[in-house]
Amino acid sequence: MSTLFSLWWIPALPLAGFLLCILFGKKLGKSFVSAVGAGSVGLATVVAYSRLIPFFSGDLAPAVERLSSWITAGSFSADLALRLDPLSAVMTSFVTFVGFLIHVYSIGYMRHDETEAGYARYFSYLNLFMFSMLILILGQNFLVMFVGWEGVGLCSYLLIGYYYDREYAAAAGKKAFVVNRIGDFGFLLGMFGIFTLFGSLDFDRVFPAAAADPGRYAPALTVVCLCLFVGAVGKSAQVPLYVWLPDAMAGPTPVSALIHAATMVTAGVYMVTRCNVLFRLAPEAMAVVAVIGGVTAIFAAVIAVAQNDIKKVLAYSTVSQLGYMFLACGVGAYAAGMFHVFTHAFFKACLFLGSGAVIHAMGGEQDMRKMGGLASKLPITFWTFLAATLALAGVPPLAGFFSKDAILASVFEGGSYILFAIGLLTAGLTAFYMMRLVSLTFAGRFRGTHEQEHHLHEAPASMTLPLVILAALSVVAGFLGLPKVLAENGSRFAAMLEPVLPKLATAEGAAHELSHSVEWLLIGASVLVAVAGLLVGWSWYGRGQGAVPGRIAAAWPGLYALVAEKFRIDELYDVLFVRPFDALCRGLWKVVDVLIIDGVLNASAFFVELAGDLLRFLQTGNVRNYALSLFLGLVGLLLLVIGFGY
Amino acid sequence: MIGSVPLSDVLVASAALFLVGLAGALLRRSAISIFLSIEVMMNAANLALIGYGGALGTREGQLLVFFVIAIAAAEASVGLAIFVALFRHKETIDVNKINLLKW
Amino acid sequence: MTVSRLVFDAAAVLTVLFAAVMVIHRHPVKSVLALVVSFFGLAVCYVMLFAPFIAAIQVIVYAGAILVLFLFVLMLLNVPEEARERDPRPIQRFLSGAALLVFAASLLGIISSHGAPAAPAASSPSGEVAPLARMLFSSGLLPFEALSVLLLAALVGAYVLAQREEAK
Repeated sequence: MSTLFSLWWIPALPLAGFLLCILFGKKLGKSFVSAVGAGSVGLATVVAYSRLIPFFSGDLAPAVERLSSWITAGSFSADLALRLDPLSAVMTSFVTFVGFLIHVYSIGYMRHDETEAGYARYFSYLNLFMFSMLILILGQNFLVMFVGWEGVGLCSYLLIGYYYDREYAAAAGKKAFVVNRIGDFGFLLGMFGIFTLFGSLDFDRVFPAAAADPGRYAPALTVVCLCLFVGAVGKSAQVPLYVWLPDAMAGPTPVSALIHAATMVTAGVYMVTRCNVLFRLAPEAMAVVAVIGGVTAIFAAVIAVAQNDIKKVLAYSTVSQLGYMFLACGVGAYAAGMFHVFTHAFFKACLFLGSGAVIHAMGGEQDMRKMGGLASKLPITFWTFLAATLALAGVPPLAGFFSKDAILASVFEGGSYILFAIGLLTAGLTAFYMMRLVSLTFAGRFRGTHEQEHHLHEAPASMTLPLVILAALSVVAGFLGLPKVLAENGSRFAAMLEPVLPKLATAEGAAHELSHSVEWLLIGASVLVAVAGLLVGWSWYGRGQGAVPGRIAAAWPGLYALVAEKFRIDELYDVLFVRPFDALCRGLWKVVDVLIIDGVLNASAFFVELAGDLLRFLQTGNVRNYALSLFLGLVGLLLLVIGFGY
Repeated sequence: MIGSVPLSDVLVASAALFLVGLAGALLRRSAISIFLSIEVMMNAANLALIGYGGALGTREGQLLVFFVIAIAAAEASVGLAIFVALFRHKETIDVNKINLLKW
Repeated sequence: MTVSRLVFDAAAVLTVLFAAVMVIHRHPVKSVLALVVSFFGLAVCYVMLFAPFIAAIQVIVYAGAILVLFLFVLMLLNVPEEARERDPRPIQRFLSGAALLVFAASLLGIISSHGAPAAPAASSPSGEVAPLARMLFSSGLLPFEALSVLLLAALVGAYVLAQREEAK
C-alpha cells in the first residue's frame, strides 16, 4: 500500500498546473503552458489510474484519506478528507481521462489565435477546473464537495467569459454564475438540513445513520432532498435553471466539451446518486426528480430541433440527456443514471470537440446553414462525429444504446408509463435533431463563402487524436453495462456500484422484474424510434436539403418562431425576475443611498458649516471685547458659586 | 487684625483698588492705559496678600508679593516691547483699531 | 481708632483716589505720574501692615523702575493724548458697566461674609527682614531661581520684540 500515491495527488497535480501557468505562463511561453497545462492533467490521470486499477480489480472497499481536521466548532466538525469508493472511482476514471484528452485538444485549438497571456490564462483556468472537479467527486463530506462545487462554478464563469472583450461572452459568464448561485443556495439549505438532522456532514456518518433508522428521518428528508435537488437543478441545467447552458456556448469549444458536457454538469447527477440513501427515503422528492428530468429531456429536445448554431444544438442536447440521467435517478435506477453519465461523457465530448474542429475549419463560423458537404474535406472529423452521433441516438451496439435502454427499462419497470413515453419520444427527437445536424454540416453542397471554402482543412493531430479516442470509447464503452437479457449477471457497471446503493429497510417501490420478452420489446421500441429519427432526419435534411421542414416552418410560422427562440424562456425570466430586481436595485440606489445616506451626511456637514458661519461673528478682532467676555464669564461663575455655595 | 488695622479695612481697600483697575482695563481705549490698569489690579492683589499674611501670622504673604512684583516687572517689560512694536507699525494706540484678526 | 489705623486708611484712600485719576486722565504721562503717587500710598499701607521690606521693594521696583520704564517708552514714542471719540459701538461700555456693578456687589458681599480667616493669629509678625530672607532662600528657593530664569526670558523676549525690522 505504501507504493501507491495518496489520493491527494490527483487534485493536487492540476492545482500545481494552475499555479505554474498563471504565475509563469505568460513569461515562459506557449510551449511551457502546453506542457504543464496538459501534462499536469496527464500525470493526474496516470496517478488516478494507478489507484483505480487496483481498486476495480480488488474488493471495492472504500478508502478514506484524511489530510487534516478543517473545522471544529462546538458539535460540528468537518475534515479535509478524500474518499475512493465505486462511485467516486467511476467519476474519476472518466473525468481525468476525458479531461486530459480535452487539454491535448485545446493545445491545437487555442494555440494560434491567442496571445501568450491569453493562452496561459486559458490553461490555468482549465487546470483549476480540473482541481475543483476532482475535489468535488473525491470529497468525503458535503463540505469538501461544496468547495469543489463552488470551484467548478467559478471556473465555468471564468472560462465562459474567456473572451472577456465580447460583451455577449461576459454576460453569459455572469448569467451562468448567477443561475448556479441560485442552485447553490438550495444546496446550502440542504446541507444545513442534513447537519440539523444528523449532526454531521460526513458521508460515513450521514448515510448509515439514515439507513439504520429510516422512520425517524424520513419526514424531514423530503424537504432536505428537495433543497439538495435545487442545487442539482442549477448545476446540471434542468428546468427551470437550465438557461445558462446554451449561453455558455460563448466560451471556447473545448470548454463546452469539458465543462458543459462531460464533467461539471454531471456533478448534479453525482450528488444525487451520492445521496441516494436520503432520496430513497423520500419518495416524493424522487418523484419530483423524475418528473423534472423527464420534462427537461423532452423540452430541451424540442428546442434543439430548431436551432441553427451547431453548438447550441449540442448544448440543448446535453440538457436533454441530463434530463435522462435525473429521470433514471428519480425512478431509483441510480446505476443506470451513472452509466449514462459515463457513456455520455465520451460521445458528447467527442461531438463537441468535433464541432470545434468544424468551427476551426470554417474559420469561426458556427451557423449550420452556412455549412454543408464537409464530409469529404474533414474525413476524420466526419467519421468520429458520425460514430458519436449514432452512440447518442442510441443505435446498438454503441454505448449510448445500452445506457439509454437501461434507463428506459427502469422507468418502464417502475410503472411510470407516461415518463416512459416521454423518454421514448425524446429518444426519437434526439436521433432526429442529431441527424439534422450531421446532414446540414457534413452532407450536401457547401453553402458558405468562397473564402471559407478555401480555408477548409482537417484539424491537426493534437485535435483529431482525441476525437478518434473518444469515438472509439463511444463505440465500446457500452459493453460495461449489458442488459439482463443479453448477459445473465447483468451489467458489470451496476454490480460495481452496488456498495454505494445499499439495501434499505423500507419496501421500495416493488420493482417487478421484467420478463425477457418485455425487455426485448422495449429494446426493439427504442431501436425503432432511434432509427426512425435518424432516417427522417437524413431524408429531410440530407437528401431533401431541408425542403420538407422548410414547408412545415412556413405553414406554422408562429410555432416555428417560438421553438427557434427557445420558447422565449429567457425573455420570460427577464420580465419576471430580472427587471423587478433591477428596479429594486435602482430604487435602493436612488432613494436609500443617494437621498438618505448621502443626505444625512450632507445635512450634517451643512449644519456644521452653518454653525461656523454664525459663530465667527464672535471674533471681532478687538481685544477689549475679548477681555470683556472673559470678565463676563468670571462674573457668571461667581454668581453661580454664590448661588449654589452659600 | 494686623497690628491695629482690621483686616476688613485692608480687604475693602484692595477690592476698591481692584475695581478701579478693572474699570480702566475694560473702558479705556488706549493701550498704555490698559497696561497701567492691569498693574493696578496686580497691586490690589498684592495688598490683599499682605493683609491675609499678616492676619494669619505668617510671612508667606510677603514672600508671595515679592515674587509677584518680580513677575510684574518681567511682564511689564515684555508688554512694553509689544507696545513699542505695535506703535511703530500702526501709529495708533487705539485698541479698537488693532483688529486684523477680525472675521 | 488708633493712629496706625488712621494712617492706613488715609494712605488707602490716597492710593485708590490716584488710581482713579490714572484711569480717568487722557494724557499718558499724567496717568503714569498719578500712578506713581498711588504706589507711594500703597507703600505706606504696607508699612502699616508690618511689611516694610515689601514697601521698600514697591517703591524701588514698581514705582521706581517699572513706571519709569513706562515713562521712557511714552517719551521715546511720543505717544499722543488719547482722542475724545464717540464710541461707535457702546455695547462694550454698557456691558462692562453692568458687569462691574454686579461684580462689585458680589465682591463686597463675599468679603463681608467670608473675609475673616478661620484661625486668626494671636499676633502679627514683626517687620524684620531677616526671617523673610531666610524663608526666601529655604522654602522659596525654587520659585526664586525660576524667577531669575523668567527675568532672563523676559529680557530676551523684550529685546527681540522691540527690534526694528530690517528693511527687506
